[in-house]
Amino acid sequence: MTMVVAWFILGFAASLSASGQQMAEGGTAAGIRALEQAWTVGQSRHDSHALNLIFDNALVYVEYGKLVTKGEYLSRIKHESSQLDQIVMGPMTVRTFGSTAIVVGTYSEKRGRDKGLELKRWRFIDTWVYKKGGWVLVAASAVPVSK
Amino acid sequence: MRALTWIVVLTCFGSAAGSAQAAYDSDIASKLIALERVGKMQAWQNKDMKTLDTMFDDAFVYVDSQGRELSKSELIAYIQSFDSLQFIAEAMTVQLHGDTAIVTGLYRMKGTERKKAFARRGRFVDTWLYKNGQWVAIASLLTPDGN
Repeated sequence: MTMVVAWFILGFAASLSASGQQMAEGGTAAGIRALEQAWTVGQSRHDSHALNLIFDNALVYVEYGKLVTKGEYLSRIKHESSQLDQIVMGPMTVRTFGSTAIVVGTYSEKRGRDKGLELKRWRFIDTWVYKKGGWVLVAASAVPVSK
Repeated sequence: MRALTWIVVLTCFGSAAGSAQAAYDSDIASKLIALERVGKMQAWQNKDMKTLDTMFDDAFVYVDSQGRELSKSELIAYIQSFDSLQFIAEAMTVQLHGDTAIVTGLYRMKGTERKKAFARRGRFVDTWLYKNGQWVAIASLLTPDGN
C-alpha cells in the first residue's frame, strides 16, 4: 500500500508539473485538494515514505501547540500505535497566489477509548509552495474548534 | 594549472554567491520579524487600522485560538472591539521559500473585551507573500500553548 500511495503522489505531482504554472487556478486548487487527501491517506496508513514526498524539508508543523520538524512528524507517523481510528476531512477552501496556495478547512478525529469514542474537530491552515516542478507542504497548523 | 585556477575561482564565486544569498535571506527574515512586531505589538494594540489594512492581503485569512475563521475585514472589526489589548510575540523563526515566508513564534495576549479580562498564550504560524514590491500577510493561525 505504501507503494500505491507513493505512486499516487508521484503521478499526481508529475501531472501538476506537466502543466506547471499555466494550469488554471481551478485545476491547481483541485490538485492541492488531492494532495491534502493523499496526506490524510498516508497518515492513516502510517506511510511516512509517501508523506516524505509531499512535505518540504523545512516544513513548519504545529500540532497541539507544539512545533515539530518534518523528521519528528514522520517518525511519529511511522511508529505510532495510535488509537486514532479515523480522520474525516470537512470542507476546505483553497486560495492560490501564484506559486503559493493556502488551504483552510476542518477535519474531525475519531479516537477509540476504553470508555467510549472521542470526537474532536479541528480547523487548519496549510501552506503549499510550488517548488522544483511540484507542490510541497511548507507549513501546517491546526487548532481545536471550541464547542 | 589552468584547471586548478578555474576550480579556485569557481569555488570562491560559489562561496561568495552563497554568502550573498544568506545575507539576503537574513535581511528578509529581519524585515519580517520587524513587520510582526509592528503589526502585532503596535498596530493591534493601537488599533492602527491603516497599518493593518496595508499589512494584510485582501484575501487574508485568520484562525483564532478557539478555531474561528475570520476574513481580513472580520479580523479588523474584531480588533476594534477590544477595550484594551496587549500582544507580545517572541521566539520567532522565519522560513523562506522564494516569495513566500513562514513565520512562527510564541505569543501572549491579554486585555479586556466587553469589560471582561482575558489572557491567552500559545504559538502562531503566519504566512507572508512578497507581492507588488512588499510583504503582505496572507494567513495566520493562533493555537493554544501545547508545552
